[in-house]
Amino acid sequence: MELLKAIALGLPMTLLVTAVALGIGSIVALPLLAGLRSGKTAVRFLTRAIIDLLRGIPPVVWLFLLFYGISAGSFRLSAFGAGVIGLGVVAGAYLTEIFRGALGGIKAGQWEASEALGLDRFTMWSKVIGPQGLRVAIPGFTTYAIGLLKDSSIVSTIGVAEIVYLTQQSARTSGQGITVYFIAAAVYIMLSMPIGMLSRNLDIKMRKAVAR
Amino acid sequence: MQSIATDPLTTGQTAVRVTNLAKAYGDHVVLRDVSLEVAPGTVTALIGPSGAGKSTLLRCMNLLERPDRGQIEICSHRIDASKAISAKALAPLRRSAGMVFQHFNLFPHMTVLRNISLPQQRILGRSREEADTKSMELLARMGLADKAKQYPSRCSGGQQQRIAIARALALGPEVMLFDEPTSALDPEVGVEVLEVMKELAADGMTMIVVTHEMGFAENVSDTLVVMADGGIIEQGDPQRIMRDPQHERTRRFLRAVLER
Repeated sequence: MELLKAIALGLPMTLLVTAVALGIGSIVALPLLAGLRSGKTAVRFLTRAIIDLLRGIPPVVWLFLLFYGISAGSFRLSAFGAGVIGLGVVAGAYLTEIFRGALGGIKAGQWEASEALGLDRFTMWSKVIGPQGLRVAIPGFTTYAIGLLKDSSIVSTIGVAEIVYLTQQSARTSGQGITVYFIAAAVYIMLSMPIGMLSRNLDIKMRKAVAR
Repeated sequence: MQSIATDPLTTGQTAVRVTNLAKAYGDHVVLRDVSLEVAPGTVTALIGPSGAGKSTLLRCMNLLERPDRGQIEICSHRIDASKAISAKALAPLRRSAGMVFQHFNLFPHMTVLRNISLPQQRILGRSREEADTKSMELLARMGLADKAKQYPSRCSGGQQQRIAIARALALGPEVMLFDEPTSALDPEVGVEVLEVMKELAADGMTMIVVTHEMGFAENVSDTLVVMADGGIIEQGDPQRIMRDPQHERTRRFLRAVLER
């Protein structure tokens, strides 16, 4: 029980890292998405190169580069800052692909109808294309979010006190190596299962509303 | 073009004027120098074999397809396709031309009412109440008032197409473009849509209709335009063309359609 308490203390940090990284990723994904859809070949090529670069470097290497590599004068990224930025930019690259796939699932007629009606670009994206794209993106997005929830444990390597970091600490101090990791595993399952169920419910509900 | 537009004889007598429109996809020529004039309050039916360029011509009229060159004029809003087209020039042209698609293209995530009201709010600046009032009025005219709160997926194809017509009409277009409006519908259901189109025509709406419905083309349209191989090969009074086609290509097409 004591051990569970000690490990569960890391829970808010795990959730925070995951949420902030997803937020950064979603923001990073938007310009990348626009770049991939650009009419200019050079812009598409450059965007593709950036995405491959972001994805091509393992997250743990990103974290070390950001945490130990970036310092300007007395400025250094905090472990938390380096953690969420590192996970966030990698998430951005993957989410770009998820969003792009979702847009690809929208029928050409939706764009054509918006254009023929004379809707401005903002209205077209915010009212017609965006909402439909988000619906299609939900399963892919939550799958990535659950993956990130678990992968966020790598920020323990630079000393962010989330679940795995506290688990390792407990393992050292209590001497009950295997037990603490079982507890950590249980905590992660308790976290990810409801997210999965929520996502599926949401998906089914939205499909019902617009079923063709 | 300036001289034509200011000529008192022609001003006000042409709702749509297409001049020397040309379009090609690479080597494949879809439209070769097509010119067409449509008088206000008339119904023009575009017929012809598939691949003739009918839909492309229609889609060029509101710039859903970008022609390579030529001029388009709808209700004195003029666009020269060989020059850069600004959004500012495009908006009034699209506003005066409503479009109805083969596959309806309603927004599936909005209720029927929102489908019709949202464009009014965004394009005409109507309040939600004003827009909804107008939408309900149009839905009632289509006999679909009870569908307002439904999603499009709960409506039949014929109902969806009538909703799409209402959505376009709600913006007060001066010309309506129909791109094979009944081709995706069962014949029985298509009749509902054709009835609505007949009423619109009787009300004096200027309509250009790409269609395979020969009955509609013959009995409702004022002008029949026969296209083949990217050009207009014959046009004029529908009954005369049906009875006595001048062009061999028209004869062949009509024979094929009527024998089916």
